Amino acid sequence: MGETFACSPGAWWLSLQVAGVVLVLFLTLGIGLAYVLTLPIPLRGLLDSLVSLLLVFPPIAVGFVLLMIFSRHGPVGGWLDEMLGWNMVFSFPALVLAAFIAGLPLVVKPIQAAIEGSARDLVEVSQTLGKGRMATLILVVIPAVRGSIVAGLVLGVGRSFGEVGITLMLGGNIIGATETLSLAIYNHVLDGDFTCAGHVSAMLGGVSLLLFLLLQHFGVRR
Amino acid sequence: MSGLMADVRFRHRGFSLDVALGVPPGGVTALLGPSGCGKTTLLRLLAGLERPGDGVIQRGDRIWFDSSRRVHLPTRRRRVGFMFQQYALFPHLTVAGNIAFGLPSKRDHLARVNLWLERLHLQGLERRYPGSLSGGQKQRVALARALAPEPDVLLLDEPFSAVDQGLRRDLRLLFQEVIAAQGIPVIVVTHDLDDARYIADRAGVMIQGRLRRLGPTEQVFAQPGDVQVAQVLGWSNLLPVAGVDQGHAWGGWGRLPLPASARGRHLDRLAVHPEGPRLVSDGDGLAGQVTRVMGLGRRTLVICRLEDRTPLQIVLTDGCAVPRLGECMHVRIPLDCVTPLHNGSLP
Repeated sequence: MGETFACSPGAWWLSLQVAGVVLVLFLTLGIGLAYVLTLPIPLRGLLDSLVSLLLVFPPIAVGFVLLMIFSRHGPVGGWLDEMLGWNMVFSFPALVLAAFIAGLPLVVKPIQAAIEGSARDLVEVSQTLGKGRMATLILVVIPAVRGSIVAGLVLGVGRSFGEVGITLMLGGNIIGATETLSLAIYNHVLDGDFTCAGHVSAMLGGVSLLLFLLLQHFGVRR
Repeated sequence: MSGLMADVRFRHRGFSLDVALGVPPGGVTALLGPSGCGKTTLLRLLAGLERPGDGVIQRGDRIWFDSSRRVHLPTRRRRVGFMFQQYALFPHLTVAGNIAFGLPSKRDHLARVNLWLERLHLQGLERRYPGSLSGGQKQRVALARALAPEPDVLLLDEPFSAVDQGLRRDLRLLFQEVIAAQGIPVIVVTHDLDDARYIADRAGVMIQGRLRRLGPTEQVFAQPGDVQVAQVLGWSNLLPVAGVDQGHAWGGWGRLPLPASARGRHLDRLAVHPEGPRLVSDGDGLAGQVTRVMGLGRRTLVICRLEDRTPLQIVLTDGCAVPRLGECMHVRIPLDCVTPLHNGSLP
């Protein structure tokens, strides 16, 4: 056990931090986006397609597109650089963004499906009883689809641990700075340190298995 | 209390709805019609869950929708009690929590909830969750939840469809009692004719997105007016009329005198009430052969094929002689069980 953490102590800590921040983002923006996608708003179809597209689009290509957008010469990155003098690429927020984008459809889709399925009537009843959209989200939608929310969060956070493609592009795989667990395995293999690669892989596999069991537990209860 | 008035048009994927109706406060208006005729859509338009293409909806002098003035009050501000077909109770709230959901202030929650638990005979169930309730209990909770905030209008979508037949009679009585006491406009959408007969004092028939008939329930059922409405209202004996002369209508099935009210008016069919005709072995009347005899408890259903093979259903009550299968008989049809119908015009 000690040996395992000794292999890449920084990567463990970094991955846990990323997972923690991403979990908070999924809880707020993820659930919010899922709810918005069930409302009759303009451009809903486009937004829905974009989220779904992330599921099939190759992560490394998504990473490249994000790099183009957020690099110092990109539209958003250039603006950030100019206004705040801050370069997002190869930083901790870049890792969070990578994990967030990768896990987003896994969080949004099950919650969206649950709201459109079982919760659609409930949302309408809530409106007839005088509640607005925000009150309906908090009082009705979230409690009614909590099983799907847990499932989505587990999938999304699990994905954040395994994320490589986008992280590599946006984070840069800088050892000691932006080296996450999955990248650590890759780096150990490149260095020929198969023992460490094995240890970290086994532990990461264990974490995934734990999340899977958690998911099954909630899946049954739902 | 003032009534609900609507005059709306709505289109969606080839379906078009064009309805004008007024619903007075107090009493219950039932909307009948085949599946897909737009009954539920009309309720959703009234509640603001769908938006009409154009038209006006108003409750008293309060305007809910007016396309010419670009007014569209959102559902939450219309104060409608809406009961969904599958009840849509909040699964994560108790019975009391469900009933209290639409109450505006926290102050008198308990008293109001208790009042509705009592009115709908739900005492003792307040801490239960919807998953553990029977169909009839769920239905009463849904009605209590819709009425607790004292809505301005009550809309019920197939309120009895998920309840066992045996329970329906009691529930209809309870509903009628509770709803009538509110003194607000109430619309019940149903495809069950008995629902309409038992709880509604006014009935409307919708066909293909149009309201084809609206009036006092008794009158609508007795004088459907056109053939399609008659079919929706369960009239089965519709004799095609080939011609009219000297106060009589005739067809391949024979010849019948017309009621005075029908004389001089265009008619395409004669509807014959199954509980009026008598079967006699000789004398005048339409000639026919008995092709089916079925016992219905204290009554007997006889199907008689007239001369042109048109089947005529006749219900014989206790005490009438039951004919044998294959027997040739004469059917005497009193004037008061004949209703003239026209084909109506399809939109």
